Amino acid sequence: MEIKQLKITNFRNYEQLDISFDKKVNIFIGHNAHGKTTLLESIYLLAISKSHKTYKDKALIRFKEAYSKVSAELKKDDTFLKLDIIISNQGKKVLINDVEKRKISEYIGVFNVVMFAPEDLEIVKGEPTNRRRFLDIEIGQISSIYIYHLTQYNKLLKQRNEYLKQLQQVKKIDYAYLDTLTEQLAQHGTEITKKRIDFIKTLTIYAKKLHQHISNFEEDLMIQYLSNYRLKHVNFENVFRLYKDHYQKDIEKRVTQLGIQRDDIRFMVNGIDVSDFGSQGQQRTTALAIKLSLIDFIKEETKHYPIVLLDDVLSELDDIRQTQLLDCIKDKVQTFVTTTNISGIKSDLIEKADLFCIKKFHIYKKEGEQDGE
Amino acid sequence: MHYPEAITRLIESYSKLPGIGPKTAERLAFYVANKMKEEDVLNFAKSLVAVKRELMTCPICGNITDKNPCNICRDQSRDRSVIAVVEDNKDLIAMEKMKEYRGLYHVLNGVISPINGIGPQDINIKDLLERLKDEEVSEVILATNTTIEGESTAMYIAKLLDKTDIKVTRIARGLPVGGGLEYADEVTLLKALEGRRELK
Repeated sequence: MEIKQLKITNFRNYEQLDISFDKKVNIFIGHNAHGKTTLLESIYLLAISKSHKTYKDKALIRFKEAYSKVSAELKKDDTFLKLDIIISNQGKKVLINDVEKRKISEYIGVFNVVMFAPEDLEIVKGEPTNRRRFLDIEIGQISSIYIYHLTQYNKLLKQRNEYLKQLQQVKKIDYAYLDTLTEQLAQHGTEITKKRIDFIKTLTIYAKKLHQHISNFEEDLMIQYLSNYRLKHVNFENVFRLYKDHYQKDIEKRVTQLGIQRDDIRFMVNGIDVSDFGSQGQQRTTALAIKLSLIDFIKEETKHYPIVLLDDVLSELDDIRQTQLLDCIKDKVQTFVTTTNISGIKSDLIEKADLFCIKKFHIYKKEGEQDGE
Repeated sequence: MHYPEAITRLIESYSKLPGIGPKTAERLAFYVANKMKEEDVLNFAKSLVAVKRELMTCPICGNITDKNPCNICRDQSRDRSVIAVVEDNKDLIAMEKMKEYRGLYHVLNGVISPINGIGPQDINIKDLLERLKDEEVSEVILATNTTIEGESTAMYIAKLLDKTDIKVTRIARGLPVGGGLEYADEVTLLKALEGRRELK
């Protein structure tokens, strides 16, 4: 999977942009606030159909313009694919080879990305909501069925919580309706939990190995999925019964107590919870190992390598970590890197790369430097 | 400056209609006052009153009608042992266009949705239960939409009928007729697979 050409129109501060990529590794160099991250954001948007920075699609439209458009030509195996995503006041439109896809689920998964950003540390260090978001985005990338269950679950949860709130005003509780909502919630919750279990299981295999290499075989990483259901056997009957046993509490608190909205992940290094007790270095290693493991995970699930986006993180990594990262990318994975300064980046990588300079939302290829010597 | 009383009241009336905001209501009201012929205004007023006085919801099925009971409920040639439960009048008309369904209907006039302030008691379910007690119905077809609210409403009604002998069915969902598998999205395919039928 490779992006051969990227075209941007009215995207954030970019008016027009049209670049072709010949090499696997592409490095964008420029000062802060000149449009490096925005470039990666546009690629991320093409893959996930959402920005990694904002929930509001309209924030992506250039000031005073009517629409924003990102297009790319991709090479998948030996075929070429054209993707377009257009955001306007009327909403979002996605096209594959000039054919509009009505449902996002038909579009997602055409190509996958793994984004490395300074915020990754929050997956390890931050609040549980960061970890759930990680689960949802990464599983959603490879399974549109997961996205379906998740959206249904969230809608039902909203209805159920609202109903629980309204119960204060009614004299008699309509258990038939509460059962209805609960049964549906349990159905979707079961499917989501099963998919999360599988995801963590597979991810652990890859992440464990990577973590060992990065830590020079001194540390051992374990990832535990903390399902809020705490069931030995996750199936619909058990989950439904669990919810039913919680009716009284739900009614008292006027909110659904149980569910996947309370799930979490725990990262253990040498038996210690890194989120709370790990050193800064251990947390960084863990975050990197998880993100790196996604590359192999996506390859395994989709049979294609994802596109890797490195937003301002490469020069932050020490030699061992950079080496490990380069090992994962090798010559197989197309990679886009942003940096303010290439001096912190290993020369093996720079030799292989095309360099681009970004200045005030304009881009030009830095020619000659790597061939000239 | 205040508008004359009559104009203000007309603006208020227009504002109550769906899709009409204060600006449009104002424009419409002034159009009536300045541009419309008196004869047209009178006809307009008469039809407004007529739809309200002459049309009613059928006390049996909840369909909108000018007869009591409605044409479908009074049609003795229809199969009175089957009732299709639909969300609103538009769905009933869609079913009728098919010209294949010969049973009766029950129009719920909405779906249960607590976030929109609509509870089970706010839609036409009570009448349905009454109907099922009196009439000799052997099957109830739940033909609400496949939205989450439509699904909840169907499941809820099914639960209420759990203890009765009445057969409760849900309309199928899955592949559209004439559609190829390759064009279906994964969720539709999943539902089609879940709802598969035995051929042998």
